[in-house]
Order: sequence, then structure tokens, then C-alpha cells
Amino acid sequence: MKKAFVAALLIVTAIPLLIGVVALPPHGDPDTPVHTHISARYLEEGREEAGADNIVTGVLLNYRGLDTAGEVTVIFTALMAGLAVLISHKKQPEGDATYDAAEAAAEDAPVRAPVSPVVSFVVRLLAPFIALFAVYVIVNGHVTPGGGFQGGAILGALFIALTIVLGRERTRTLMPRLAQPWMQGAALLTFVGVGIVGGALTGHFLGYPAQASLHLARELMMLVLEAGIGLGGAAVFATLFLQMEAE
Amino acid sequence: MLEALWNNVDYIASVVLFCIGLYIIIAKNNLIKKFLGLNIMETAVFSFIIALGVIDGGDAPIMGAGAQAPFSSPVPQALVLTGIVVAVSTTALALSLIIRIYRQCGTIEADELREME
Amino acid sequence: MSVVFDIMLLVFLIVTALAVARAKDLLGAAILFSSYSLMMCLLWQHRGAPDVAMTEAAVGAGITTVLFLVAIGRTTRREK
Repeated sequence: MKKAFVAALLIVTAIPLLIGVVALPPHGDPDTPVHTHISARYLEEGREEAGADNIVTGVLLNYRGLDTAGEVTVIFTALMAGLAVLISHKKQPEGDATYDAAEAAAEDAPVRAPVSPVVSFVVRLLAPFIALFAVYVIVNGHVTPGGGFQGGAILGALFIALTIVLGRERTRTLMPRLAQPWMQGAALLTFVGVGIVGGALTGHFLGYPAQASLHLARELMMLVLEAGIGLGGAAVFATLFLQMEAE
Repeated sequence: MLEALWNNVDYIASVVLFCIGLYIIIAKNNLIKKFLGLNIMETAVFSFIIALGVIDGGDAPIMGAGAQAPFSSPVPQALVLTGIVVAVSTTALALSLIIRIYRQCGTIEADELREME
Repeated sequence: MSVVFDIMLLVFLIVTALAVARAKDLLGAAILFSSYSLMMCLLWQHRGAPDVAMTEAAVGAGITTVLFLVAIGRTTRREK
């Protein structure tokens, strides 16, 4: 009964999707609206207007800067919600019946194996290079592929790998308790700060000065934004991992 | 008809992946499995949007020495970049909720959870 | 040549997605999902979207999989 229902639902979803998809203009056609409307202008003038060789970074930080600010808010909110969900668990009464059930079922959970010496050595060997690559990706985001999000994810993944290999006591110094809230909110704070600076220079929130004389100011604003997004993203991913992994 | 299908093979693969994700979400009982399905659905949609921005013989939209037109459209790429990061934060929140549910109820099977009420 | 590569990637994507659906072991499913993300990243690189491919490689194949693994470690490995 359930299987028939699932199959019917899948068919009902798939057929309209397929019909719509086949009716689309052929893949890669240069005359479709995707290429003729706003993209054409971005590609033609984006380099001078947004000040970035990588047009995707230009669109993210300049043309659609407010969207990215909203996205950063979403990540920060998800982190706060995740922390709230996991922290309030601590006051579980010991004799609770449901808690015993959880403990009994926990025996099925995979046993934690000690970290293999090969993994430990390779992670420790590569860690400085990964960190360097992450910084390169963040700083060079407006010239080559990359940017704050990619670099932040690489930094966060490096932190997670180090935590697995070295234990959380040794990596705690990388994220001191006092600096934690500032690091987690770094992306949002830099967006607000750069937005206000842009407002002072141009009169629009998150505006970028277009004059040639303020070229350096524009570059600096983008760089600060990328660095803020990178640091904030890394801190958010690392905190989520630490919180989920904690007993 | 076949010609149209062949031209749009990228889009059709996206639809197939979307349906596989949907199938996992509806038919599977385990909450973690459901979220793996949701992630597959998300990537299918992203891949559809990326395929829309592709241009024949196009290059990545990065200006600089040696770059030459045509370029693929940068707008879908920026859109998807935003989407991926939002997707991972929603997944992290969902997994936190799943861990909490397991601590409270001792199971993450949807039907067992439904019986518990 | 490029067409053959495309078709191989698309077939691999669909096969891994089906394997995720079939796997009873959640740990295996999460690792299959990681390889699915990596193939998706290759496909996007091939489609002229290196920024998105990089994000998918770092976020989709890296962070998401780690979070899934942690969640499986904190709950159960077997699907009933």
C-alpha cells in the first residue's frame, strides 16, 4: 500500500518536471534569457564596476551584497539554534526511563577507535599547508576562484581534522573562550561595519565608491569582507562540530 | 523528441536525482537517512541551476590575462554558492535536533517516534 | 571525449544516489554521499563553475559529511 503510494507520488512529481525540462531551450544556447539580460551587463562592465576579476565574487559582494549579508545572518542564526538545542540537554535527570532507553540503544553506536598513526602524521604534516591554502583562497578571492566561504570551509575543516587528531584540549587555544563570540559573529559584524563605511563614503548602505581615486578603499573593503566571512564561517563550522561531538 | 532529450541530458539527470532524493525522504524511516535524501535533492536543484547558466564552449566567468568570451553566466553561480552554504547550516541544525531527539527518546526511526506520543 | 566524461559523471551520480537509498548502514550511506558530492564538484568544474565546485568540495564533501558522521556516532549506525 505504502509502496504504491510512493510510486504514484514520484510519478506525479517526475512527469511534469520532465515535460517542463524537455521544453526548455537547448543546453548551452547563448540566446537564452540567462545570458542576454543582466549577466551580459555584469560580464561586460563588472570588472570595472565591481573591481573584481572574478565576476562571481563581484556579484556576491558588490551587486548582491545585501543577499550575502542575509545569508551570513542565516548561518549565524543556524549556529545559535543548534547551540540552544544541544546545550539545554545537560540537566537530564538520571533515573528517567527514556534516558535509560537511550543508554541501552547507545551500545549499538560505533565504538571510538584510536586515531591511526598514519592519519595523525599526515594531518600534522599537511596542517600548515592547508592553512596557507585557506588564507590564499580567502585573500585572492577576487582574482582566482575562491573567496570567503570556500576559505572559511577549508579553515573549519582543518580545525575539525586537528581536533580529531590532537584532541580538543590542544586545539582549544586556537579558539580562546573570550574571542569565541566575536569569531562566530565575525561575518555579520564585518558586513555591518563595511556597510556603514560604504554608507559614509557613498550614501548607500554597503555602497562601494566608484571614483578612480578611491580604488584602494574599494579593494580594502572587499578584502575585509572576505576575511570576515572566512573567519566567521570557519568559527561557525568548528563550533557546530565541537558542540555536536561533545558528550 | 529524442533530440530534445539528448540536448537536455543535464536537466534530465537533475530531475532523476531530485526524484531519488524525494524517494529517500518519503520512503525511508530513519531521520538521518531522510536528511541525506534532502541533501541529494538540494544538490540536484543546484546542478539544474548551474546547467542553466552554461554556454556552449564557455569559460569560467573570471576576467584576466588570456580570458576570452563567451563566459558562463555568473548570476546562477553566485546564487548556488549562497545556496550551498545555507544548505549546510540547515543540515547542521537538523542533525543537532536529531541528536537531541535520540537523547530524549532513544530512537530516530520516524514510525517509532510517532507511536511514542 | 568531453561528452563521454559527462555521461560517466552523470551515471556515477545517479548510481551513488541510488546506493545511498539502498544502503542499510548509515555510515556507508554518509560516505557514499561524500563521493556523490565529490563527483558533483567535478561536474561543476567541467561546467565552467570553479567557484561553486570549490565550495561543494569543501562544504558538501567535507563539512557536511563530517557533521553526518558525528551525528551517526552520537545516535545509531544501523537503520531498522
